[in-house]
Amino acid sequence: MADQIPLSMTVNGQTRRGLGEARLTLADFLREQAHCTGVHLGCEHGVCGSCTVLMDGEAVRSCLLFAVQADGAGITTVEGLAPDDETLHPVQEAFRDCHGLQCGFCTPGFVVSVAAFLEANPDPSDEEIRHGISGNLCRCTGYQGIVAATRQAAAVMKGSGQS
Amino acid sequence: MSQTAAAARYVGQSVKRLEDPRLVTGHGRYVDDIVLPGMLHAAFGRSDLARATITRLDTSAAEALDGVHAVYTGADLNSYNDSLRASLHPPESPAPPANMLADGDVRFVGDPYVMVVAQSRYIAEDALDLVEVEFEPLDPVVDYETAAESDHHVHPELGGNLAHDLPVPNPATDEAFANAAYTITETWHQHRQTNVPMETRGIVASWQPHAGVMEVWASTQSPHELQLVGARVLGIGEHKMVVHFGDVGGGFGQKMFLGREDMAVLVVAKLLGSPVKWIEDRRENLLASNHARIEQMTVKMAVGEDGSFLAADLDQLEDDGAYPLGGPATPGAMATMLYPGPYRMGPVSWRARTVYTNTCGRGAYRGPWQMESVAREQMIDRVAREIGMDPLELRRRNVLTPDDLPYQVSTGLLYETTISPKQTLEQAAEMIGYDEFRAEQAQAREEGRYLGLGMALYIEPTSMGMGPLGTESAMLRVEVDGHVNVFMGTGSHGQSLETTMAQLVADELGVRPEDVTLHQGHGSGYGFGTGGSRSAVIAGSAARAAASGVREKVVAIAAHLMEASADDLEVGDGVISVKGTPAASMTMAQVAATAYQNSDALPPGTEAGLEHTARYKAPPTTHSNACHICTCELDPGTGKITLLRYVVSEDCGVLINPMVVDGQIAGGVVQGIGGVLYEHAVYDASGNPLASTFLDYLVPTAAEVPELECGHVVVPSDTPGGHKGTGEGGAIGAPPAVFNAVADALAPFGAYPNRQPLDPNAVLSLIASASDE
Amino acid sequence: MKPAPFEYHAPETVADVVGLLAEHGDDAKPLAGGQSLVPLLAMRLTRFEHIVDLNRVDELFGVSLDNGGISIGAMTRQAAVETDTAVADRVPLLHLATPHIGHFQIRNRGTIGGSIAHADPASEYPAVMLALDGVAEIASASGFREAPAAEFFESTFMTAVAPDELLVALRFSAWDQPAGFAFDEIARRSGDFALAGAAVGIGTDAAGRINRAAVGMLGVGPTPLRASSVEAALMGLATSDADPAEIGRLAAEDMDPIGDVHASVEYRRRAGSTLVGRVLANALAQVNTEAGNG
Repeated sequence: MADQIPLSMTVNGQTRRGLGEARLTLADFLREQAHCTGVHLGCEHGVCGSCTVLMDGEAVRSCLLFAVQADGAGITTVEGLAPDDETLHPVQEAFRDCHGLQCGFCTPGFVVSVAAFLEANPDPSDEEIRHGISGNLCRCTGYQGIVAATRQAAAVMKGSGQS
Repeated sequence: MSQTAAAARYVGQSVKRLEDPRLVTGHGRYVDDIVLPGMLHAAFGRSDLARATITRLDTSAAEALDGVHAVYTGADLNSYNDSLRASLHPPESPAPPANMLADGDVRFVGDPYVMVVAQSRYIAEDALDLVEVEFEPLDPVVDYETAAESDHHVHPELGGNLAHDLPVPNPATDEAFANAAYTITETWHQHRQTNVPMETRGIVASWQPHAGVMEVWASTQSPHELQLVGARVLGIGEHKMVVHFGDVGGGFGQKMFLGREDMAVLVVAKLLGSPVKWIEDRRENLLASNHARIEQMTVKMAVGEDGSFLAADLDQLEDDGAYPLGGPATPGAMATMLYPGPYRMGPVSWRARTVYTNTCGRGAYRGPWQMESVAREQMIDRVAREIGMDPLELRRRNVLTPDDLPYQVSTGLLYETTISPKQTLEQAAEMIGYDEFRAEQAQAREEGRYLGLGMALYIEPTSMGMGPLGTESAMLRVEVDGHVNVFMGTGSHGQSLETTMAQLVADELGVRPEDVTLHQGHGSGYGFGTGGSRSAVIAGSAARAAASGVREKVVAIAAHLMEASADDLEVGDGVISVKGTPAASMTMAQVAATAYQNSDALPPGTEAGLEHTARYKAPPTTHSNACHICTCELDPGTGKITLLRYVVSEDCGVLINPMVVDGQIAGGVVQGIGGVLYEHAVYDASGNPLASTFLDYLVPTAAEVPELECGHVVVPSDTPGGHKGTGEGGAIGAPPAVFNAVADALAPFGAYPNRQPLDPNAVLSLIASASDE
Repeated sequence: MKPAPFEYHAPETVADVVGLLAEHGDDAKPLAGGQSLVPLLAMRLTRFEHIVDLNRVDELFGVSLDNGGISIGAMTRQAAVETDTAVADRVPLLHLATPHIGHFQIRNRGTIGGSIAHADPASEYPAVMLALDGVAEIASASGFREAPAAEFFESTFMTAVAPDELLVALRFSAWDQPAGFAFDEIARRSGDFALAGAAVGIGTDAAGRINRAAVGMLGVGPTPLRASSVEAALMGLATSDADPAEIGRLAAEDMDPIGDVHASVEYRRRAGSTLVGRVLANALAQVNTEAGNG
């Protein structure tokens, strides 16, 4: 087996250390060594967006990064968005309110992507929302609830000054 | 039912889903999240050729790789193949050899011929690269239209490529055609698509020797099908096959049945004695899970001077691929039988054929026989165009009205009085603003813009009550603390059953939905699972009956303890109180504690405990119906279609959770839009799949779909809750509605589309070839 | 779908990168944003013994002003190009094209150099570079050299950058005259590679006569292409006299399309030339606006 490289990154505020081959993807590291099983693998070739995480604040596909590339970085996964175990992030709350999910498999990637999208576009039009979330695939909802959730989250986050 | 039954309190409300807090925070538990001590990872080596003889297969280098535990070929596993049949597939009917791995030859690109089990998926794939294999290519059967006549046989064991041929002539059609003012014929084609659940297939199997138990976690729609077939494959008792059910990331029919890979994992986990995980990757899912909708129907319709439908003659041909998932079923026969749909159609004759080809096997995909609606609704628009009548007017003249019901269809179906096609047609026409749109369309054409409108009206047989599909059970127990656990044979994978079943139980029992937890998989009673638009009616009725049984006991105990008359009690939100005297009350927890821990205080003769099991047997069918109308604009410069508006008027009877119903419809509609405009699992002439990644198999994104407007007509069914199935309908109505809209936009060019996908390339060539004529 | 093993290198200077490339030659591959390369590795459609990660080479990042134009480091993220004000001011076409690349998550990692070095004929930056006569700066163990766009794109996925060389920066000059720019493409879905696309720049003299025309096309040939027939037809015309639809049709002659699962040769030619006309119309409208404002 190839060389194991020591890895260390801050995941959802906690230092996570591990070992992996150079070819270990960031997604697999997060799932297998950082217990972030909310990072979902829907295609492993960068199209579906289910594995989206924030790396140093930017939304990225974690299946298209090697863990070694994220060594030293700060990673936020869907598990790290909610402020505590009882409270949801406004985007998560909006997905629940608006039926923005059914099977829930694509949801972590959408939630992270929408949070990042609203950070950059706090007051998007419907058309901007539809293009903004078009880098994530959902097969259950027909996107109706996801668009509505993004609208609601934008309004809530603007109102509370979160964005 | 108890006279104290509460009025619907939660049923009919858009109750927020109980599933969601874990799912929106990433704490769902899908099969790939299962990690067991010593767990190994499987990967399959798959054929790159559509049809070939394996002339050499050497796995020694793969076996020698560090981290590889075992390498299997067909010869190692296929002795188990007698027992692989799905429950729905009758053992006596002919079927392809049910090999887990190809043995001696390969029969489609993606056919697994070797299986590696290794310490990680990375190493398993490294080992696949080391498998040495040589093939002698054979001429493949790729074109299903000519497959039946081909000298090359996909399955030599079967002696031919024709899987089914069901002719159902009807001499009564002859007279109708002889007297028809118009006879119109067209062949309608659908094209190869696939389900694409966002979570691919996957399974973890762990064998416990001596106990003789196989413990399984899987991405499945039907934990009991997995249990029953798995037990047969392993030769163990059903009780030894323990299926854990967690979160499942969609299926749309694909996860109703076991795949060959699932069975191989079960066998190998037992042979190796180590837990084995297989998570299908996306390329495998697109190449080798199942395809669907590869079919055509030639329709000849007899039409009267006034537009009345007089008769139809149908010829349906469908591609089963090489190894149809779940066995060689015959959706084509259903499609032809259901063709009359919501209309007075007159006599119908039909023939339905299915053929094998060297391609990925057909499987169930949301509305597996929706070809009936595709062919019929597209045909009606064509008839309208040929006879110069507005398509809405033509439908109005032929649609079944409440006065026609109940209605005996010439093909054998019986429609109950609770369908409402006429009402949904009118509601949808009203919602879209039909006349206003036609005016806007005419105006736009003067400006050189091309708008189109398409509609589709259908009746869907849901919740079918035959054979293994006919029943579901619910085992309901109020626990000591008053919480309600209900165990059911369903397999919720996006349908929100944890919430909707809780709503039904909450109303029937008198608790809050959050007081109810649904348990699926191990420990539940047999059920066919979730698919076929069946859970609301069949499972829901079982849940309701189980809750009703417990409620009677709760009321009897509370009446005894409170020294009140049972007739004077009401139950709501977990509190049993005397009507009009809310202070006189006790909680469900108090009743439960008494039932379990102080049984001497129970009314004389009352059995201790608070539980009830009910099984519901469904009627043969419960029909739902809907009308879809959409509008589009066609860009004649680029051939691009932009959908403008999309309305659905549907009747699924009593809505349990309107938000969930609208969500089911929206998801189905967008799959239909994807099918007509974007998705194509296309093969080249040599049987090479050209859409094996998400760069080529184009699932629609949010940017391609319009806002969906949903209207509801509520005619309760005769089943206990008045519900009707609604899971598949969106995917049935959308394809013909979208197709008809594009055809309408193309009409000014003189183009007559009869096949999909209507991608920009197809639209421009339709315009070009029409203008050449 | 897991990549095959490789040895990973994370150099911090261009000198170290080209040293590694010189040492390992064909067996080494520079890794920029990874948005095209990593899927190919994951599907094992390509493999390299050595991956040379450029993401820790600081000198490859950033936009700098350069002699009236700009120079963009090869590792500058597409997202950074999208929001850079100097790019928007001096090379508007680059700014207009960027949002058409994939999705924002892709642009957060994807780099301009990666996109140009990958040379997908259906991608945006190569066509813009060709239209604007951009210049590639290329390093190797033996020093630096330049390659003009016209010589850069050799064939599909093949460029003037040799295996032991590294694309380090792209240079674009600003147009110092009344001008209009427009970019658009036809894609199956939002964010998909283009079936056909056009990048157009129109420059005029003070009297409003076209004296510079740059028309780059994507998705209609084995490499990005210039629509030289269109450019020639525009020269000398008053912007108000140019019939963009008519002139756009000439682009069909400049195309050399390849058919695939998404669109045929004929489609790309027809729809592509329609699109060239439309983008041309937008660019002409921009010139008129500028003139009106001036």
